[in-house]
Amino acid sequence: MSATPSASAALKMDQATTDVGGGAAQTGDRARSGRGAASPGGVPGWLARIDFTPLRSFAILLLVWQGVAVWTASPIQLPTPLRVGAAFLDLAAEGEITEHALVSVTRLVVSLAIAVVLAVPLGFLMGLNRKIDAFVDPLIELLRPISGIAWIPLALFIFGIGDVLPVFIMVYVAFFALLLNTISGVRSVDPKLIAAARTMGVARPMILAKVVAPAALPAIVVGFRLAFAGAWAAIVAAELIGAPNGLGFAIEWYRELLMSPKVFAFILVIAVIGYVCDLGLRALQRRLTPWVDEAGHSS
Amino acid sequence: MNGAVNRPKLRLQGVTKAFVAPRTGHRTLALADVSLDIDQGEFVCIVGPSGCGKSTILNIVAGLDAPTAGIVEKDGAPIAGPGPDRGVMFQDYALYPWQTVQGNIGFGLNYGAPGKSMSQAERDARVAEFVKLVSLTGSESKYPHQLSGGMRQRVALARLLANGPDILLLDEPLGALDAQTRIILQAELLRIWGETAPREQRKTTVFITHDIEEAVFLADRVVVMSSHPGRVRDILTIDLPRPRDESIRADPRFGHFADEIWRLIRDQALQAIA
Amino acid sequence: MTVAAQSFSSRPIAAVARGVALPLVLLLVWQAWASTLPANTRAPSPAQVARAFETLAIGGGLVGATLQSLGRVMLGFLIALVLGVSLGVLMGSSRRVSRNLDPIVEGFRPIAPMAILPIAILWFGAGTPAALSIVAYAAFFPLLLNTIHGVSRVDRKLLQAARTMGLPLHARILRVVLPAALPSIMLGARLAMGVAWTAIIAAELAVGAKSGGGSSGGLGQMMFVFYAYSIDLNNIVVCMIVVGVVALLIDRLFRVAERRLMPWRI
Repeated sequence: MSATPSASAALKMDQATTDVGGGAAQTGDRARSGRGAASPGGVPGWLARIDFTPLRSFAILLLVWQGVAVWTASPIQLPTPLRVGAAFLDLAAEGEITEHALVSVTRLVVSLAIAVVLAVPLGFLMGLNRKIDAFVDPLIELLRPISGIAWIPLALFIFGIGDVLPVFIMVYVAFFALLLNTISGVRSVDPKLIAAARTMGVARPMILAKVVAPAALPAIVVGFRLAFAGAWAAIVAAELIGAPNGLGFAIEWYRELLMSPKVFAFILVIAVIGYVCDLGLRALQRRLTPWVDEAGHSS
Repeated sequence: MNGAVNRPKLRLQGVTKAFVAPRTGHRTLALADVSLDIDQGEFVCIVGPSGCGKSTILNIVAGLDAPTAGIVEKDGAPIAGPGPDRGVMFQDYALYPWQTVQGNIGFGLNYGAPGKSMSQAERDARVAEFVKLVSLTGSESKYPHQLSGGMRQRVALARLLANGPDILLLDEPLGALDAQTRIILQAELLRIWGETAPREQRKTTVFITHDIEEAVFLADRVVVMSSHPGRVRDILTIDLPRPRDESIRADPRFGHFADEIWRLIRDQALQAIA
Repeated sequence: MTVAAQSFSSRPIAAVARGVALPLVLLLVWQAWASTLPANTRAPSPAQVARAFETLAIGGGLVGATLQSLGRVMLGFLIALVLGVSLGVLMGSSRRVSRNLDPIVEGFRPIAPMAILPIAILWFGAGTPAALSIVAYAAFFPLLLNTIHGVSRVDRKLLQAARTMGLPLHARILRVVLPAALPSIMLGARLAMGVAWTAIIAAELAVGAKSGGGSSGGLGQMMFVFYAYSIDLNNIVVCMIVVGVVALLIDRLFRVAERRLMPWRI
């Protein structure tokens, strides 16, 4: 308690420089202090502030990949990054990437929208009403362990190959993530906040809108991010087996044709879309619920 | 042992500690030119307002932190890093939640340097001895979360002593306890420290507190610090007789010392809340 | 959790009745609907699913297929455990390592295990190694991320205390960092086992679907064979139920293990 907050925060980094081979938790701070010392140099401020570490990491990854690819000399198993890049440009020029990506993203958006419409209201009902929860929860707990993927054969029979199957699988996956988070969000509302609203004569619908909903929002947003991640993972499996187009289909299609550079190019597309969407959702989360951290906990 | 007569056990000379903030490069001076000699068997309390660098001094003596400038010596040799010869009792105790009372007391003996030359049976015997010393017999297999604050404090004290350090460094060890428990444990601490033993056999102790009466009750000398940057404001020799018990608080000199210390830190304490 | 929850559990019979009501009603509706269909229908019914379960379980290869899938999950999980925890300790304890590796991890994370499958098939052929690598890949991320989280939040004081007691680096990792991070690691392990189980079913399904159902084996492939060759929906439903039950058992086992391994947690 005797050190000021700023001093105790700084303590970590300074200690690391003085104390080589210290605790496991200290080695990293050394790197940070090195950066701090380097920044007030001759470079313009905005340039010094950009963190080039990710670029360097990816550059090293590409170099290692190139090296391994040349060394294994098996272009079908591991094409070089250059050939993957060329394949990517080809596919992009022919519009094939946009075509498949658009199909997958549309399915994703539709699925998430359906899942929100189904899961969030049900989550509020179950979170607010113990009786409804007691009836519905066992069914949810029975179905939840059966992964969306395991529905594929049955769904293939019911829906055939097409748009409906991937959407069904994704809705199923997203539904549970959203539902469980909504329920726990609604239940996490501090009863005192509701009691306080009541003593002020606020009516029940107003309490729902102005107390319960905002309090549950962080958990719902976290649930939505989880739902997105689950759905984006499931879409590949669903399209790979049960769709005539989309990114999952494209990967498998070119795998069968042994056109590895295109397989890798499409995997790259999946990674980039997934990454960008996650960044977008994080930004949305900060806008919607600025008072909590990324895991949804108030800090 | 001839040299030991006039050589202090611990010597801090011109110790300065600056912290540099990671991004802004802003420099904060936590300690400025702190000099302090502590003799063998002395009980020294450091008091001062928050921000005076009390804990920084402790960390530097413990070897967890190095001074930016100045000399820190133990028995005439510079302190280079942490070692089991200087035992630390941390604020909030730093007990291992996954270890039982026994496991915590024996942590250094079993996994660290102090128990290197011992057999497992010797270690166990030593743990049992210190369990008894701090009156925790019967609670050996409990986990920290099952203990009261006072009991946790005793575990931390037993762990500290079991490692056999010759210097004890205590960072507000009673700070988390309620007022009644504190007063009881202060007397207990003096008993365990070895108040009745001759000075050569007592452990040299540096004790950090923000409680003025606690400092007067425990210490041979009280170091009063001022903040921003942390400096030694004054050092008071508390020549109250030992062994001390509750009655000493009624001694007029006790109140005099407490008033004197309060006078020294009052201005900054008032500033801090203004 | 709350007072309301307690009052429910205080009347266990009523609670159980409420719990089974909806699933039971749905089962009855399903059975009633199925019995209105002509006798040669492919539509499954609860009664026929029960019968199919009996046939499959006794000499129908269900047990063998399940064990084969489980075996792959275990092995893949172990690989992920070793890699994920050791890399997680490194990244969680060193900011320099994590700053450099984090972009790569974040880059791979949105790539679904199933997207790796085509590459795995290219590398290893449509057999156990391909399935294993998918499982290990899927289980790796929850283990890695939770280990990093746990390790990076180890109380500094606990590490400092260990240093003052003279613990060397390896002992500090073994005696302080790992136990302190264990709750996170166990959570990661439970999540990893869940996704690993999903991934193996997906991998076996896809390998079955794309290589003519021949070589992969396991529960997922069994499902696909029932779809592709006999369109036996009752058998497929049996497999789905087994998928769910195994997932549930894995989850419960891990929860029990968590309590056993961490008696210091309340």
